[in-house]
Amino acid sequence: MIRHLFTLIWNRKRSNFLLMAEILLSFFVLFVVSVLLVNNYYNYRQPMGFASDNVWQFDVNPGQDTIDRKETLQRLVQELKATPGVAAVTWTSDNTPFSFSNMNTDEYLYKDKQAPLTEFYDADDDMAKVLSLNVVAGRWFDRRDDASSRHHVVVNKRFAEEMFGQESAVGKVMTNEKHDEEWQVVGVVEAYRSGSDFAANEPALFSRRALQNTARLGNTEQPILLVRVQPGSAAVLEQQLVRKIKAVTKGWDANVNTLAENRKDKMKFVMTPLIALGMVGVFLILNVALGLFGVLWFNISQRKSEIGLRRALGATGNAISGQFLGEMLVVTTLGVIGGWALAVQFPLLGVFGLPAPVYFMAMILATALIFLLTAICAFQPSRQAAGIHPAVALREE
Amino acid sequence: MENILAQSAVRLQTNGAPLATASQPVIQLRDIEKVYQTKTIETVALNRVNLTINKGEFVSIMGPSGCGKSTLLSIMGLLDEPTSGVIELDGRPVQSYSDKELAALRNHKIGFVFQSYHLINDLTVLDNVELPLLYRPGVGGKERRERAYAALDKVGLSARTNHFPSQLSGGQRQRVAIARALAGRPEIILADEPTGNLDSVMGEEIMDLLLGLNREDGTTIVMVTHDEQQARRTERLIRFFDGSQVQ
Repeated sequence: MIRHLFTLIWNRKRSNFLLMAEILLSFFVLFVVSVLLVNNYYNYRQPMGFASDNVWQFDVNPGQDTIDRKETLQRLVQELKATPGVAAVTWTSDNTPFSFSNMNTDEYLYKDKQAPLTEFYDADDDMAKVLSLNVVAGRWFDRRDDASSRHHVVVNKRFAEEMFGQESAVGKVMTNEKHDEEWQVVGVVEAYRSGSDFAANEPALFSRRALQNTARLGNTEQPILLVRVQPGSAAVLEQQLVRKIKAVTKGWDANVNTLAENRKDKMKFVMTPLIALGMVGVFLILNVALGLFGVLWFNISQRKSEIGLRRALGATGNAISGQFLGEMLVVTTLGVIGGWALAVQFPLLGVFGLPAPVYFMAMILATALIFLLTAICAFQPSRQAAGIHPAVALREE
Repeated sequence: MENILAQSAVRLQTNGAPLATASQPVIQLRDIEKVYQTKTIETVALNRVNLTINKGEFVSIMGPSGCGKSTLLSIMGLLDEPTSGVIELDGRPVQSYSDKELAALRNHKIGFVFQSYHLINDLTVLDNVELPLLYRPGVGGKERRERAYAALDKVGLSARTNHFPSQLSGGQRQRVAIARALAGRPEIILADEPTGNLDSVMGEEIMDLLLGLNREDGTTIVMVTHDEQQARRTERLIRFFDGSQVQ
């Protein structure tokens, strides 16, 4: 029977061509939607590389106060650290976890190899403690880095792999094109996906910025402090910290958010276009489904005489519906083969730079969805074909 | 279902040879009525028809258009159900049979030949002839081919196996349709105006073919026709008028 189905489809290749083309295009739409879904799921399953629970973010605004900012900030950090309920405090750059700001560069060179585009973070010695960063090689920053003439940096594993391959990253010295600055890797963290839950594990680099170094605390910079508090700390501690900031800084404004809140806000921001895109995808799929449904319905009405003949020759109703379903699945298979030939170019050519498993998973998902879609669309017309009375069908020409 | 088919086979064969059973009924219709009902109108297509077709007979049915001949043939071929009455095939009433059982009976026992041939245009002659065997479990691809070739040989079309129906004349198409009916080796052939679309020469050829099948193989044939001359060549002529048998 399978050979018979292939023979029928081959002999009707002209009329099946449009259907196959429609399935190929549908497969491609589903593939694109699947790539988005799978990629986001793939990213979601990756380790974040840090813990955001019980971390509060204080956006401090010195306003017009430009006098002794460094000393004020140093004193503030010491005061906050000394507050009961506070576990650790770090002063960091604007691109805090789940923020809407980012800084990237590819200025680093190692043996003339240029770094990939890398997210760049300012970090101090306490950042690893505040964010529970998982150092997998070397160490995090500490006072040993004070005396170094080079910038000491910590990188994530992704950066280390892309820049140094199989070699150990710790101790490697990178430079820039002018060779007037050097960065020495002192440690490697597992990951740092600070953008959102769906952010990719991109190369990241932490550059040490100790408060002793005043060069980078400009008059316009608004310091951001991340504070790890004891679990269960509530509004009372928050009030206490805000009051302390006001008291120590003599009037600097402070705005507080928890990283958990920021995470939720970022999630909404990231999900909105995804949901919109998903709705467009569903709309397209619905259109495809209606198209397939119509084509099959028309196909059956055109083949009533054949249905009657097959019934007369001994086909049961189920055999008729099985044949129509089978034909549809064979046509779908041929369309999907064409779709695979196109889709496989994405991982082969490295389009969009996504990992190959994402594309392959998306291809499998899109294949399953298109077969499900065509089976659903073919089911009702096939049942209708099965129900056609043979004596009536035989009168059709 | 297999029992039903096996019992039929036992009745039909002794040491592989057809029985000489001129009086053995293969199809019996008792008080068959067929009424087509719409919202506004009721049409009686068959009115209390009683008819027995014996094994090995060649029966022709004649009558004006709309008198119920084709409906009668559909009911005999188990393609349609009567509104009332009993149909017996080999002495067994078939009303209670399931769709699957009726399909198997049609496949094993009955071959159909239609006025408009009903060939599938996208299949070759050989593929068309193989069709009934596709629905017969246990018949493999090789056997299907062999039986299809044999049937085509019998109707004189063994040189046209890879042609498509559109490449054949009307007479050749009807021969293909007959070969398709023969491929399943049925006991009964139901032919609905098999020469209706053919000129007289081709019509005679088809008629000769059917007569040969009846005489040489003992195939029971029921043929609906408008052609008095051809009807007279058959063993028995039944005339219908307004859904009733008149002769």
